This record gives sequence, C-alpha cells and structure tokens, in this order.
Amino acid sequence: MPQTRRDTLLTFGALWTALAVPAAAAAQATPALGWAPKALSADQARRLEVVVDLIMPATDTPGAREAGVAAFIDRNLADWADPLWRDTAVAGLDRLDADAKAAHGQPFLAISPAQQAALLRGYDEEAKTRRPHFFAILKDLTTVGYFSSEPGATKAARYDPVPGDYRGCVPLKEIGRVWAL
Amino acid sequence: MANVTGKAKAERTYDAIVVGSGITGGWAAKELSEKGLKVLVLERGPMVKHIEDYPTAQTAPWEIKHPRGKLPDAELKAHYPVQNRTGYALTEYTQHFFVRDDENPYTEDKPFDWIRGYQVGGRSLLWARQSYRHSDLDFEANARQGVGVDWPIRYADIAPWYDYVERFIGVSGQAEGLPQLPDGVFQPPMEMNCVEKAFKASTEKAFGRRVTIGRAAHLTAPTEEQLALGRGKCQHRNMCMRGCPFGAYFSSNSATLVAAERTGNLKIRPNAIVTTLILDEKAGKATGVKILDEATRQEEEFYAGVIFVCASALNSTWLLMNSTSRRFPNGFGNQSDQLGRNVMDHHLNVGALAEVPGYLDEYYSGRRPNGLYIPRFRNLGDAASARKDYIRGFGYQGGAGRLGWDREAPGFGAERKAQLSQPGPWLFRVGGFGEVLPNPENRVTLNRARTDKYGLPTLKMDAVIRENELAMRKDMQASAMEMAEAAGFRNVRGFDTGSPLGLGIHEMGTARMGRDPKTSVLNAHNQVWECRNVYVTDGAAMTSSSCVNPSLTYMALTARACAHAVEAKKRGEI
Repeated sequence: MPQTRRDTLLTFGALWTALAVPAAAAAQATPALGWAPKALSADQARRLEVVVDLIMPATDTPGAREAGVAAFIDRNLADWADPLWRDTAVAGLDRLDADAKAAHGQPFLAISPAQQAALLRGYDEEAKTRRPHFFAILKDLTTVGYFSSEPGATKAARYDPVPGDYRGCVPLKEIGRVWAL
Repeated sequence: MANVTGKAKAERTYDAIVVGSGITGGWAAKELSEKGLKVLVLERGPMVKHIEDYPTAQTAPWEIKHPRGKLPDAELKAHYPVQNRTGYALTEYTQHFFVRDDENPYTEDKPFDWIRGYQVGGRSLLWARQSYRHSDLDFEANARQGVGVDWPIRYADIAPWYDYVERFIGVSGQAEGLPQLPDGVFQPPMEMNCVEKAFKASTEKAFGRRVTIGRAAHLTAPTEEQLALGRGKCQHRNMCMRGCPFGAYFSSNSATLVAAERTGNLKIRPNAIVTTLILDEKAGKATGVKILDEATRQEEEFYAGVIFVCASALNSTWLLMNSTSRRFPNGFGNQSDQLGRNVMDHHLNVGALAEVPGYLDEYYSGRRPNGLYIPRFRNLGDAASARKDYIRGFGYQGGAGRLGWDREAPGFGAERKAQLSQPGPWLFRVGGFGEVLPNPENRVTLNRARTDKYGLPTLKMDAVIRENELAMRKDMQASAMEMAEAAGFRNVRGFDTGSPLGLGIHEMGTARMGRDPKTSVLNAHNQVWECRNVYVTDGAAMTSSSCVNPSLTYMALTARACAHAVEAKKRGEI
C-alpha cells in the first residue's frame, strides 16, 4: 500500500473476510522448550509451541515454532499486552488442557494432532462471537510474529529491505509471494 | 546571567542567530552561512547526525520487540498520549524522534494535537515530504473574499524562490499545467500502479478532475549538487521516518545543515532552549537571545545582528509571547494583538475507501513513499467549479494497494498460511486536505500559570474548525465517494472521523504576514514590523493556509527572507 502518512486506514483488513475452510493442520510432536518463558509456565509454553505450529504449520516454508513465535508471544504477554489480553491468553492455554482431558481423558500435549486441531476449530468458531477470546489473540500474535520473523518474512513472504526502483505494474507471478513489508 | 562584556561577549557574538534547526531553520542556516555570515543555530533538542544517529534505519522486522512495532499501551499512555494520536507515526522504529508529552505539556481548552520532534533536524526528519506550490488563487483569496488580511506577496514574488528551493531539495513530480497548482522544478515522477492508472483515467474522463502522482521531496535523478552533498537516489524503502541512510528525501540533516557546515560559518548548539529575544529598546533592535541549557539548566546569552526565528509555528509564537518588555508588554512585536491568533492547519480524516475488484494478477515492486494527488477542483474562479456552500477548497491524497499478510483470514493452518503468503485484494483510499480559514478567535495563548519542567510557561490551545470547514467536509466525502464509484470500485465507504486542529501537523498562522502593522505581526519580508532585525519564517508567518502541504512555502519564504536580510544588513537598514 502507499504508505503516505495519513494512509494507515489502508490496513483495515477486517473489512475483507473471505470464506475459507479451516485447514486440517498436522500438529507436531511435543517439543522441548529451548527458551525460558517469562509470562508463561513451562507447561503453558509447551502447549503454546504446539498451538502456534497448528496455526502456522511448517509447509514448503518453515512453521511458527521453528520461527521462534512462541517465545515472541511469551515475551509480549510479559511486557507488552494489556492485562486483560494477557490474562485471557494465559487462561486459554490452561483451558486447552482442561478441554483435552474432558474430551479425551488426556492433557493437550498427549492427544493426537487431529484431536488438537479439532479443539482449536471449536475455539476459532467460539471466537467469532466472544471477544476477547484467547484463540483470536493467539492467532493474531502468531500471524504477526510469524510474518515478522526472519523465516516468515524471507521465506513465506518476500523480503526486500532495499528495493531500489519502484515499478507500479508488475505481474504477480514475477513477485510470487506477498511482500513482507 | 551576569553582564557579559569584552572578550567573553565577543565569543558569544555571531552575525546571525537561527532559532531552530527544522525545515526552515536548516534553510536559514544554509542561506545565511553561504552568504558569508557567521551563524549560530540554537536547537532545543539533542544532536541528530545524518545517518549515524538513525538507529533504526536498517532495523529488520525481526529485530524489534513488539507486534507491528506498536509500543506497549502503558508506555503510550504515560509518555505519548498526544504523539500517538496520529495512530501511525509513533512506533518502536520512530519513537526517539518524537517528544514525550509528559515532559512537554500544554493545555487543550479545545482538542489540539500538537505533534512534535525536538532534535537537530526537528520534524524535517518526520515530514511526509509532499511539496506543492501556492498559487495566486491562494495569495489573492483573503483580499478578494474579505477574510483575515491580504497576503503582502503574490505568486510572482515567491515563484523564483520556489524554483531555487526545489532545485536544491529535489522534488519528484509531474508537470500538469494547472493554474491552481503551479508546476515546479521536478525530478522524474514516481509511477502509479495499475489500479491508480485506471482510477486516473476514469476520474479525468468522468469529472474532469486531474489525478497526478504526489510531488514528493525525494531524489529520483539526483543532481551533481545533491550527489556532492552525499545524497543519493530514492531506494523505495518507505522507511523515511526512521531517517534515510541514502539521504534520498530532503531533511535538514541530509541537506541544508550539511551545506551550511561546509561553509565553515556554522555552529550548531543543541540542547539550547531559546527562552527570550533580547531587545535594545532605545535602538529598537534585538541584540541576541537568552537560552536555557537543557542539561545544566543554566541561562546563557548569545548575540547577533540578525535573528531568524524558525522554531516551528507554535514554538516561535511562544518565544515571541515570552519575550516581553516595556516596549512589548504583550509579546514581542505584538501591537497588533494578532500574535497567537488565526491558528490554522489542514482539516483531514475525511474521504472514501473502497474495494477494487479484479487486478489479481497485478502487483508492484518496491515501496513507493508517495501516493496519488488530486489537486483542488472547487472554487477555481469559474462558474463550473463554484460552490455556494463554502469558500476555498481541498485536495486529496491516497492511492491503491493490495492488502498484505496482516489481514483478516478465517481458520488456521496450512491453507490459511498459504493464503496469507499471497497478496490480498486491492483497496483504494483517498483522504482530503482542506483549507482552514484564518479566524482571530482560533488562538493559542501563553499560560504562565502552568509551567513545564524548566519552569517555563506553556501554551494553551483554543482553536476549532468552523462552519466553512464543516460544509467543505461534506463535499470532501461525497466527491471522494463519487470518484470511487465511477471507477467501478465496490463497497465504497465514505468516512469523516472528525478533525481536531493540529492533526494535519501543518499548524500555522500565529504571527501572520500582512501589509499593515496594525493587523499583522510580520511584513512582506517576514520581518517583525516593530523590530526589523528579527525574521520569523516558519508556519507562523502564514496569512492563509491554502489546501496544499505547506513546507515548500515555508522553505521558499525562508530563503527569500535570508536574501533580504543580507541585503538589508549591507545597506545598514537592520
């Protein structure tokens, strides 16, 4: 978008929603945490790692877990998010376990990727009418965290810090992907 | 401070003092130093050296801390409640170039968004770089309509100075041959994208309204002079507000201060808050200024035969108001009682946005730091463009682009990720910039009851848009919508979210130029009527606001006033 200074309303993406079928995401195996959480307990952080990879899985490009998005979210829950958001997100990460146990008799990390995805689909549906909803918060932070990460910006999107020329009309197939910036 | 005499006084004496180092202070420094004057620039904020003091210029998105670079709410609330009102400008990438509101208070009797950057270079680091000329439609309007006072100059007086300034700063743009928006000295224009080209064709055909690419102070074909200053071609990063490591957009830091420095005649003193103009009442001249050292809080004095006040409209006005004496009990040069009155800005936050169907195989490459411009098409002096419901006019800025990854997308998982890894639909948006009439009841006053952390009085703002602007806004919204509809765009939505003064960041008019000392503060050469060795050349000088972005006019007025000052000094007039 042309980023002249009064043009920020151009990012009014919420007006444009299209119907799409939630992906049948494949959850990853339980990871070991390679980082020290600040806002979350170790268990909550492990669940978050699985959730971010269900939201932005590894495909032909890296997934959100590999991109360090869980640590990004934890850090921002600790020192950035407003308290209501933070508490909603943290409580949601505990609810994952409670709901998994109620439905399958096992904690979230122990149920199958398909069962994990099914739970998230329920939350995604719920989040359409209930705000703030932990899943909407996590989905937003995962998306921003991912496309702002080096793997997300440079591999899933196309990153060019110094474009040089501006060309106004270029076939999309020549660019291939969304611009990271 | 104690009386300074002899050698100590000589060391504090210059040919000229320039108050402020922003877009006009930089020009005054360049012009005066190039003409051989020893110049002292006093800047209230810290030093910002070109390139080396742009800490975020090369920062990648993964190197910042917070989502979208948005600062934590608690920090915004504590330190930037006003600066954050733009909604876009203040981020992790730019926060070091904005003032902290808690340390720089003022009083809003009426809402007034005072967006400030206190540093060497001032807001020339942060400006939107849109550069347009006023025309005689603007310079004659007050006299013709009996609004405010007549400008003491006409287009012919300033045209050569526009040329001169444009040649130095570099303005990319397209000549259009419109009398209401005179062409200038342009470097090659930036390109429109596919949708913008279609919108241009549709709008020109359906309404006869011209659509051009923004005229922006970016180098697209740098001259020898610009290259020699270390400036280079625009790289289309659109990260301008962080400071440009290529020196590709014009700022004091990248251009005027560099040129001034090279004369060997310039001294910049940062962290120096000018508090008072010193008046020699017998001679009827200013002899220098008092400053407060920002760090030590010590008062000091500097002396010069010529003083250029370029502190930005409201801070220059503050300085004049704070400089009282027996001769000027109500503020320096303020017998007219116009000092602080006639606050103007441009009113905005009104226009239209729309979805653009199709063009899904089309994209663009590079981030153009510029958009479309639709020059004024109302009240041009002919019957066809005349409006009965308001006087003056407005222009639009905006453009088209595709949504990026940061858009709403339902679901989660691989399919959504693939979807967001491709650009979204095209959107179109234009927003108006409308002229604000000078009104003496729109004013800022000095509030001695409320002082800042230095113990200095603060400003109180009492200014609003009124009937003429409100009537104009209806047309601004409706005309934007009809153009979007005629172009075949869908879901066209008009918007008008209100426009407190200040948000245009074009505050001006509070020490206006005029033809009569009884009704204006400055004469045709930006001299204070009652003290001719003091020139005020920033936005404070403006007699009317036009609807175009004003910085180019401030720069042209400054260069013109500098030439006048040097000649007047030679002739012994000041």
